[in-house]
Order: sequence, then C-alpha cells, then structure tokens
Amino acid sequence: MKINLTKYSLVGIATLLALIIFVVPYSASIEYSLRGDFGKGHNLTNYYWFIHQDGFLSHLSLSLELGLLAGILNLLLMVPTATMLHLSLQRYKPIVDFICILPLMIPVVSLAVGAEYSMPSFIQNSQFELVFFFVILALPFTFRVLDSALSAVPLKTLVEASRSLGASWPSTIIRVVLPAARGGISSAFFLSFALGIGEYTMTSLLHWETFTTWTVVISQQNLLGSIALSTFSFLFAVALLVVIAIATSRRKIRKNSEIQLVEETV
Amino acid sequence: MNQRTVLPGSEKVRELGISGRKFSIPLPLLPFFIFVGYFLAWPITKVFIASLKSNDNKWTLSNYGPLLHGVYLHSFIVSIKIGLITALLGSIFGGLFAFVIDSYAGPRLTSVLDSISAVFANSGGVPLAFTFLASFGANAGLIKLLKRWGWDLYAEGFSIFSFTGICLVYIFFQAPLMVLVFKPALKGLRKEWREASTSLGGSNAMYLRKIAIPILFPSFVGSFLLLFAGGFSAFATASALTVGNVPLIPLVIGNLINGNVISNKTHLGASLAIGAIVIAFFAMSGYVWAQRKSTQWRK
Repeated sequence: MKINLTKYSLVGIATLLALIIFVVPYSASIEYSLRGDFGKGHNLTNYYWFIHQDGFLSHLSLSLELGLLAGILNLLLMVPTATMLHLSLQRYKPIVDFICILPLMIPVVSLAVGAEYSMPSFIQNSQFELVFFFVILALPFTFRVLDSALSAVPLKTLVEASRSLGASWPSTIIRVVLPAARGGISSAFFLSFALGIGEYTMTSLLHWETFTTWTVVISQQNLLGSIALSTFSFLFAVALLVVIAIATSRRKIRKNSEIQLVEETV
Repeated sequence: MNQRTVLPGSEKVRELGISGRKFSIPLPLLPFFIFVGYFLAWPITKVFIASLKSNDNKWTLSNYGPLLHGVYLHSFIVSIKIGLITALLGSIFGGLFAFVIDSYAGPRLTSVLDSISAVFANSGGVPLAFTFLASFGANAGLIKLLKRWGWDLYAEGFSIFSFTGICLVYIFFQAPLMVLVFKPALKGLRKEWREASTSLGGSNAMYLRKIAIPILFPSFVGSFLLLFAGGFSAFATASALTVGNVPLIPLVIGNLINGNVISNKTHLGASLAIGAIVIAFFAMSGYVWAQRKSTQWRK
C-alpha cells in the first residue's frame, strides 16, 4: 500500500510538472498563433500569412535540400567508417570515439568563427558549405547510433560468412552490412537531416538564409506569423518523430534482439 | 589479429596507409580523418592562430587580456551562471521525469516519450524562442490569465528579455535533454541489487543511500556537465529573442565576428572563442570521465 502511494504521488508530481513546463507553454503558443487580426477571435489568418509569404517555399526547400544532403553525406562518410571499426580496425575506435564527441565540446559559435577564418572562398561562397558543417555537428549523435546498431549484430561473422560463400565486397556491403544495420542507418540519417533543417547558429553566423533564419527575419514584420510558423514546424517535427517511434517500437517488440539497440542509442 | 587478411582494406593498410612510427591511419579511415581534419581541426587551429595575432599580423598575447577583466569577463561569468543554473534545474526536473518514465511507463509509451524528449531537447532554437514569446510575453494568454487571478508578473518586473527569462526558456530544452542522457543510467540499475539489499535486511533508504545513489552519482554529474556545456554555449534561442541586455558570451562572440560592434576586433572574437572552447572542453571532459565511470556498472 505504501509503495503504491509513493508511486502515484511520484507519477502525479511528474505529470503535473510536465504539464506546467511543456504542455501549457506549447498550447499557449498554439492559441497565440491562431489569434485573428487585432486580437479578435481565433482563425488561421497567421498560417495563411506565412504560407503566402514570398520566401516560404524557396527557404523551406533550401532547408530540406541541405538537410537531405547532410544526411546522405553523413551516411557516405560514417557507414563505411563505423563498419571498418567493427571489422578489422577496432583499435582505432577510441580515437574515433573521442573525435566524434568533439563537436559537443566545441561551442558551435567557436566553430563558426573558425569556418570564417579557414575555409577558402570557393567554399565560403557556396551555401553547400553548410552541409559539411552540419555533418560535423551531427557526428556525436550519428556515430553513436551507427556504432550501437553495428554492435548489436555479429557483423564480423556475417561478413565472413558472406565472403566465404563467394559474395564480392560490394554485394556483401549492400546485401549483408546495410540490411543488418538498417535501423541505425535510418536513425543516423534522420538525426542529421533534422539537425540540418533546424540549424540556426552556424547558418546565421555564416550569413546564409535558410528556413530557420528566415523565420527570424520575417518575425520583424509579423510576430504572430512567426509564432504560427514556429508552431507549425514544431508540431511537424513531433508528429514525424512520434510516427517513427511507433513504427520502430512495433518492430522492436517483435524482434527482441533490437531492444538493446534502441536503449543504447540515446 | 590473424583474421585481418580476410577483412576489407587490411591488405592495403600496410601498403598505402599513412604510417608513422607509432601511429598510422589505415586507408579505409582516411576519408573520415581528412573530413574531420579539414572541417573541424583546421578551423579551430585557425581560430587559435588568429587569437594569437595582432591587427598588424604579429604574434601577441594581448587578445587574451580583455578576457580577464571588464565586460568580457562579465559575459563569461553571466554565461557560466546561466549554464550552472539551467543545468541544475534541468537535471533535477529531467532526472525526475527519467525516473518516473523508467519505473512506470510501458514500452510503447516509453518510446513515444523518448522521441518527444528528443524533439524538445533539440528544439532549443528558433521555434523555442517564438513559443516562449507566445507563452510568457506580455500578451500571452497565460500571463493575462494569471493577471486576472491577481498575479501580475510584468508588474513585478518580470521580462523574458532578462537573466531570469533566459534561465526559464533554457529549461525547456535542458530538462528533456536530461531525460535522454540520464535514462540509460537508470536502466543500468539492476533489480537483483535491490532484491539482494532487501533480502540482506536493508531498508529502502539504505538501498538508496548505499547502492542507488553511489551508482547513479557519476552519471548524474556527467549529465549535469553535458547540460552545463549546452547551456553555456547555446546561441540560437537567445539570438532569436534578440536579448541585447543579457551579455551572453556566444552572442558577444557572434557580434564581434560579424563586425556589428567594432570591425577591427575580430582577433578579440577569436580569443573569446578559444576561451569558450576551454570552458566547454573542461565540462565535457568531466562528462566523458563520468560516463566511463558509470558504464563500468552496465557490463
């Protein structure tokens, strides 16, 4: 009886706190974003406003493009690296581990300053400069995800089996390694994609205008519109991630061996 | 090591890898090292060099002088304070959430809550700033409601563009981040330890004091340090709120580098950037140490 009481009071306190610090502000912001002109009534005026803004589609597509490229580049760089670290080069893992945590140790502002000092002008003059730095910023997360996904499967055995059955290296990678680490690869992709879409610090300090920096620029014209825009992007992100979580957790429940994988990714 | 010949690239390691006497980089890892070297190590090296140069390109330590007194020292202190306060509140709230989720939520709910935490933890940016304006700004529904109930926050001098405001807004990403980083540690507490403690006659309090807290302590400290580093170097939210009157060090560096203040002070920006790296680096080294300490229980 006593244990139940502590249980309910703890759950109660946590739920209440979560309501106060998360649900209340976000619902407040939804309410705010629905306010009509001059505070009269509630409607979708502000949502119409930002959709009809000139830069809306172009900035959104630029951000999606940069995020997509960052995701792809990340996989191209990190999937072979992580695979090799698991196959024959385990002794390099501590070094790579350390390097991959560096982007968390170095404030983004400092890295942006460094980018301005060091990058040659042909890189600085192209918006794709950002893609490289998004990949760097995503490293701590993507490497951990890939690493634990590859640890969860007996990669070495699988690869040796495939090779001794006569498969070539490319076909081993495409038909054995990639499917084995599927979960890790897709989360690594989504992590760097999401980071690319939402990145602000690097983008604004390097003077580029993507969807996030554009949101700040238009807020000077119409604050309510910007709040609507933020609410829209936030709800979009929550919906996307919850769907992904439900989809992957269904697979997890079916496949017991994958549970550990997801636990370790966070 | 005798399987090495079977595995990809290993034959080439000896032929083509860059090899020194003690350390060599094997060919398959070259792309990674080149990428990280060029886009991470090289920029930081350049900042470091710039921080040691004067405006007429001579070596000097004078750029580091302003860090030790006056306005720039003050911004470092303000940022450190923000980091400490928000990390403390964030780790307490987040720790409680993590504990409740870990103990009482089912697997499906847990994974939904995990991804929501991930969204919130990464929302520390522009959307958060506007959400915050909408919830705590002078015209927000919540503030008006409280006013109607007789609690006028703004009359008491509250403002979102203040130190308190910044602390409040940072908790929105600090607490969920704590959930993400601290929950694996809670998972590491084994049921058997509790059973062993109980069957040996230990009370709940004794279990907490002698087993749970000593085991969780390193992870808690590590997570706290990670949160501190995040709060210390956060830029986006504060910048989007255009908090001019709270001199946070990331904002100060951003202004110096963009030449918004005085254009010939970019070398000072470089030395401030190095200062920020040093502080975040110390905090994160503590995090790595604590992480290592805490994972030894999870094997």
